[in-house]
Amino acid sequence: MGALLLDRLSLTYEQRSSGSSFLALSEVNLAVRDGEFVTIVGPSGCGKSTLLMLIAALLQPSKGSVRLNGTEVTGPGSDRALVFQDFALLPWRTVLANVELGLELKGIRAAERREIARRHIAMVGLRAFERHYPHQLSGGMRQRVGIARALSVGPEVLLMDEPFGALDAQIRQVMGSELLRIWERDRKTILFVTHDIDEAIYLADRIIVMSASPGRIIEDIPVTLARPRPLEIRNSPEFSVYRQRIWDLLEEQVRASGSWEQEGAKH
Amino acid sequence: MVAETSSAGAERGVSLQTLLAHPQARLLVGLAAVLLFLIAWQIVGAGEIVRSDLISYPTEIIRTFFSMAASGELTTNAAVSLQEFVQGFVPAVLVGVAIGTGFALSRRLRAMFEPLVIALNTSPIIAFVPIVVVWFGVGLQSKSVMVFLASVIPVIINTTTGIGEVNEAWIRACRAFGARRRQVVMKAILPGALPSLMAGIRLSVGRAVVALIAAEMYVSVRGIGRLIQVYSTSDRAAEIFVLVAIVSSFGFLLVTLLRRVEDWLAPWKRDS
Repeated sequence: MGALLLDRLSLTYEQRSSGSSFLALSEVNLAVRDGEFVTIVGPSGCGKSTLLMLIAALLQPSKGSVRLNGTEVTGPGSDRALVFQDFALLPWRTVLANVELGLELKGIRAAERREIARRHIAMVGLRAFERHYPHQLSGGMRQRVGIARALSVGPEVLLMDEPFGALDAQIRQVMGSELLRIWERDRKTILFVTHDIDEAIYLADRIIVMSASPGRIIEDIPVTLARPRPLEIRNSPEFSVYRQRIWDLLEEQVRASGSWEQEGAKH
Repeated sequence: MVAETSSAGAERGVSLQTLLAHPQARLLVGLAAVLLFLIAWQIVGAGEIVRSDLISYPTEIIRTFFSMAASGELTTNAAVSLQEFVQGFVPAVLVGVAIGTGFALSRRLRAMFEPLVIALNTSPIIAFVPIVVVWFGVGLQSKSVMVFLASVIPVIINTTTGIGEVNEAWIRACRAFGARRRQVVMKAILPGALPSLMAGIRLSVGRAVVALIAAEMYVSVRGIGRLIQVYSTSDRAAEIFVLVAIVSSFGFLLVTLLRRVEDWLAPWKRDS
């Protein structure tokens, strides 16, 4: 079970040196059903990654709460697992040892965690690379390790923070369809942040569109494209309708905030 | 015409460069240079072109090595130096890593003691020999203290730098999967800082060896440095070369060994 409820979630960053404060997220309300694949899009700096950090409890909200299956989330836990844009693998660990990290921290015995890790490495298609180090792998393969690491702890919710943002366009599409293949096996709840509109549509049951800073939810769009979805679905007329609608919403936000110009400064 | 000549020259330059790109060829060129130097030395020394008691020559040095080894003076003195080295070096590594970690974790500690460390790092450690001898006597202890002083500083500095350069993503990954503070240190910070820490240990070998020999030469009863001092007063170039070669070989072997350990501990640094 992985039903998420975000209730008036807000985050204010206090600048201790200047005494000023910055409202990153404002009153985000969102209910995600168990097994739903939700993508989140929004202009740069709208706080969509911050939202995932709050759900993971790596950040504490200033107001509001996160509930998972009815229970308030108070700290990091293996019921939620993160996949990062920069992969965040440990370079001194092999693929196998990297996937074992979460299981180690959960206190699972060596033999058992090896078995679980192996199973998930096979699931992402890296069986032949167990003994490789991250620097010996391509970006796409590294992120497969990141996904295996996250799934191996048996989370209720998978939190993916622009996981394919560092990959080439083509690899990115292949990884998207691979992710759907894995997801369709056990239908874990996924929250997937991206700034790629096509990716957001292709993957999602629902697309959440966020406003420019301070981040709020401005639109909640159900996607009714049939599954399983072939990559060519991107060329279909239905897909274009979604694309145009989201593009219009985002263009409005970007123009209103001038965040286009700020993008360079924020990174 | 001019253009033609310069292009031919450039071509030759490229071919030498491609030759030197092969590691084996590079090694061969290096060995050839050493061999050439040894032959020249042999001719100049053995032919008495320069007084051979001042510069000696390779075959005499080899002969001297065997006679010194046979008499037992090498092993007894090397044993003393080695003991002094180990007694100073091992504590320096342990203390250096501890202090370096302290600096990295506590801003206050760092603010208090970092200027002192930087000052010591740039000061000529050998100048402390007389005072260390006054404090610790002429025996082994004063030499170990010199080794300690010379090697602890690079270990401190590199440990602090290494921990400071630990990638934020490694810590984030551990925290995301529920690591507590101590687990973050054990699983992300220490392994991440290890290469820099090992580099610090490697760097300090040379400084420690120099400090040890200098201290022995200043005042001691036994040790390789003591032998160098004795032979230098009687113009015995061959013996001095033997002793210097032994000291250098020791440093070289230790550094090579440490590099192997480093490669084994941090395979991702080796290949990148």
